[in-house]
Amino acid sequence: MSVTKIGDRVKRVDAVQKARGEAKYVCDMTFDDMQYAYMVRSTVPRGKILNIHLPELPEGYYFISAKDIPAKNELWMIAKDWRCFAEDYVLYVGETIGLVVGPDRGVLKDLKSKIVIDYEEQIPAVSIDDGINCVGGPMFPEKNSNVMCELFCEKGKPMDEVFAEADEVFEETITTPYQEHVHLETNSAIATYEDGKFVFYASAQCPFYIRKSIAGLLDIPYGDIIIRQATTGGAFGGKEHFPDVLCGALLVAENVIRKPIKMVFDREEDTQFSVKRHPSKCIYKTAIKDGKITGVYGHIYYNCGAYLSSSYVVLQRGVFHANGVYTFPNTYLKGEGIGTNTFPTCAFRGFGAPQTLFAIETHMDHIARHLGVDPLDFKKQYLCKQGDETTTNGHIIEEVKLPEMLDVITKESDYYRKVKEYTPGCGKGIGIAIYNHGGAFTGNGEQAIIKAHSRLVKKGDRVTILVGSTEMGQGFKTSLRKICAATLGISIDDVDYPDPDTSKVVDSGPTAASRSTMIVGKLVERAAQQMKERWDEGDFDVEVEYEHPEGYPWDQATFRGDAYLGYGWGVACVEVEVDKLTNEVKTTGIWSSHEIGKAIDELIVHGQINGGIIQSLGYGSMEKLENRKGFFRQKSMSDYVIPTSMDFPKQFYHIQENPYPWGPYGAKGMGELVFNGASAAFVDAVERAFNTKFNSIPIPPEDIEEALKNVQ
Amino acid sequence: MEQVKCYMPQTLQEALEIRNETHATILAGGSDLMVSKSMGAGITPAFSGPVMLIAGVKELKGIRALPDGSVEIGALTTSAEISRSELVHPLLRDAASRMGAIALRNSATIGGNIGNASPKGDMPQPLILLDAMVVLKSIDSERTIKVDDYILGSKKTALSDNEIITKVILPPQNFTHIFFRKIGMRRANAISKLTLSAAAVVKDGIVVDFRASSGAAGPKVARSRAAEEMLIGKTLQELPEVKDAFLDAWNNVISPHAMPEYRRNSTRRMLAYFIDALAAGHPEGRVD
Repeated sequence: MSVTKIGDRVKRVDAVQKARGEAKYVCDMTFDDMQYAYMVRSTVPRGKILNIHLPELPEGYYFISAKDIPAKNELWMIAKDWRCFAEDYVLYVGETIGLVVGPDRGVLKDLKSKIVIDYEEQIPAVSIDDGINCVGGPMFPEKNSNVMCELFCEKGKPMDEVFAEADEVFEETITTPYQEHVHLETNSAIATYEDGKFVFYASAQCPFYIRKSIAGLLDIPYGDIIIRQATTGGAFGGKEHFPDVLCGALLVAENVIRKPIKMVFDREEDTQFSVKRHPSKCIYKTAIKDGKITGVYGHIYYNCGAYLSSSYVVLQRGVFHANGVYTFPNTYLKGEGIGTNTFPTCAFRGFGAPQTLFAIETHMDHIARHLGVDPLDFKKQYLCKQGDETTTNGHIIEEVKLPEMLDVITKESDYYRKVKEYTPGCGKGIGIAIYNHGGAFTGNGEQAIIKAHSRLVKKGDRVTILVGSTEMGQGFKTSLRKICAATLGISIDDVDYPDPDTSKVVDSGPTAASRSTMIVGKLVERAAQQMKERWDEGDFDVEVEYEHPEGYPWDQATFRGDAYLGYGWGVACVEVEVDKLTNEVKTTGIWSSHEIGKAIDELIVHGQINGGIIQSLGYGSMEKLENRKGFFRQKSMSDYVIPTSMDFPKQFYHIQENPYPWGPYGAKGMGELVFNGASAAFVDAVERAFNTKFNSIPIPPEDIEEALKNVQ
Repeated sequence: MEQVKCYMPQTLQEALEIRNETHATILAGGSDLMVSKSMGAGITPAFSGPVMLIAGVKELKGIRALPDGSVEIGALTTSAEISRSELVHPLLRDAASRMGAIALRNSATIGGNIGNASPKGDMPQPLILLDAMVVLKSIDSERTIKVDDYILGSKKTALSDNEIITKVILPPQNFTHIFFRKIGMRRANAISKLTLSAAAVVKDGIVVDFRASSGAAGPKVARSRAAEEMLIGKTLQELPEVKDAFLDAWNNVISPHAMPEYRRNSTRRMLAYFIDALAAGHPEGRVD
């Protein structure tokens, strides 16, 4: 078989199996004596549980709840605040109170419908403003507030001095909404008891996270729990921590029942009762002197829901991206994560960056129009460059190729001609956004927190990759096998990469944070280099551990230093035509350029660009998810709509090379980057086409109607 | 879980007998019922009484031109077939072609769509504009009524518990100008936020006929003959004078709850656009 090279165009290793329907997802798996489980959930957003009235349970049927937890009722995500089963009180609609478990799903649904729970209801805090104002009383009485987490970073002079010296201060508030992941496969897991161990088959991004999170419920060693990732049909962050919530409850049930138990969410359940993207409220105050920005103050609020999950880390990334791709002389950026009585928000492609990047890009557009200059020309003056001081007092380490990328995009899209031709309000518009995404965990987190490992096993002429990183549809099996094969000088067909099983693979860290190619890919490249040197030694293993480059300090206590060693960079341009009868917006052109170091597999990268940009355009244009009184108004895929291929045209894409010294073959992260900017470019284009201004997304026709009314 | 009886008749006569005896729920394409009765994966849908799967009744399928120029559409004709048929009026074809996704259009039927009488259903809106009739048959009778009279409100119809919808009849039309818009939450596979059809016959500079109907506008499709009368008989030169009064009248027809500002305003803008186009002597054909 031929030797695989990085530049080769290869067929995705999982393509045929998935296209033929042969891949086995959790819902396809069956076991003898299979039991099913449904969650019994809170139907009030905040209140005391007074009584739980159970119907008579037929033999073989169980109601599992907090009383069945032998040790601590907590899931260990980043903190340990998320209860496996609510007892005494509930904090949000959809909080797990119990499981009904038994052999027949029809009987279970019937039993579930007959469970009556009496509550003493309390007034919920739902929105960010509710949370700030402690509506219904503070969620954290000891702090007398709903602030779950907070941070700030500052650079340069104090902002009051900067404001005092300014000609004017441009202030505005920009809000971004919830977003649902809509992974093709809903959340699902099976628990079994095999050879004295609790074994889980889960649709999940991070098998090792699950093990760590749930072991405390029974107070058992990690080794007594085995997580086997099943084929995972999409995740987007929605299966980073949330599988813990399914698996934790199943573990408690499994400990009682000791039969295979399967739980698969219906789409409506997944839409209403799973984690979401954090809604945000971003207040910017920008000091302008002689037509130039002299300082930016940003106060960022994220709605975290009732439990912390990953919110503090999401908020940090939001704050670190809140100045966009610009270098301003003085900045003060503050973030507060607000607790509310809503379903907890968690990881979602971009992990906090899309909110603030949308806000700063839109804010910059608005300032430019206020000053009467073209937004792109205005932004170009502030683009950060290698060596510039960042808002966390670190530095931009790499060469920034944005000027070259902007040249490509303005030329391909004919931006400058169209800007002149499309007068404001003429019904046509073109918009542009510039963005970045810090690769991998913040600061020295890869070393201090994760300490990732990779292991390669050689047997004859075949090599097996044993890592905990997961394929969830993003193409990582193909990319990683390609890196391994190309480094060893063998064929990709001679490399195996089985779905991870925590009892067999080493912990390479979570499949998140755009770190898989950049960090785990490098670990596999290093292991493969070592293996290649010893190739003739017969059958052997190689294991390597992550090493952080020297000389890039980071202090996690004060958030100072080099937050990211390498960023992905992006430019997106969107052209629209609007229908003034109905306010419908038709996107007529999409152009993008992304600097990702090096594309390990161009086909996969292209797929990520197409998907990320469409997902971002859905976020900006149509994906409306509202929470009223603690309940999501949109409950299914017919009222929460995501774009189809009919909604957006074919895209022009450009990949800018700029090899990254610490990534495999020069590659950096890219899975999240491609989500981070198109929504702002879209809104910019629509603003120009209607000659109006938007301070929130999404902007479906009825919201455009509202904005136009406010202008008149 | 109680079991329910399920019937699969092969002829209309058989179906009428079953319906008469059991009042079974009629399931055609199943695209609405199987969603509303779904209990989740792996669980039998929860029908409260007997069900009749009527898809095997061949007599209820197909589209035929009648000698008087009318077109007869069998109740089991799918949206996909309607959207492709040259015999069918373009306003109905447009609506049928924008329903749901391809798979749904291949199973959903016209009988089911009007039988379900959802306010957001796609076909009732053009059918009511076209003055379409629906034929309801029972074991011992047959009656033909306007679709507008058949649909009583949201999910409410004039169908008796022993009747079956057998066909829809489109009377011949000679509109010189037509307009159709569906505004969904996205460009394809979306439930309507708002639909509007309008049609006119202009002859020798006079508006001989004018009709409009708004879908997703309230409990049922909104059409107002009183409002339409305001434009009928007017010359094209007179249209600008009566336009605002017509638009105000139309605005009063659509439901205050279902039609918040955006829907109301865009309906008004679209109708104004259509009337302006007529007044400006727009060439015959589509005005959209």
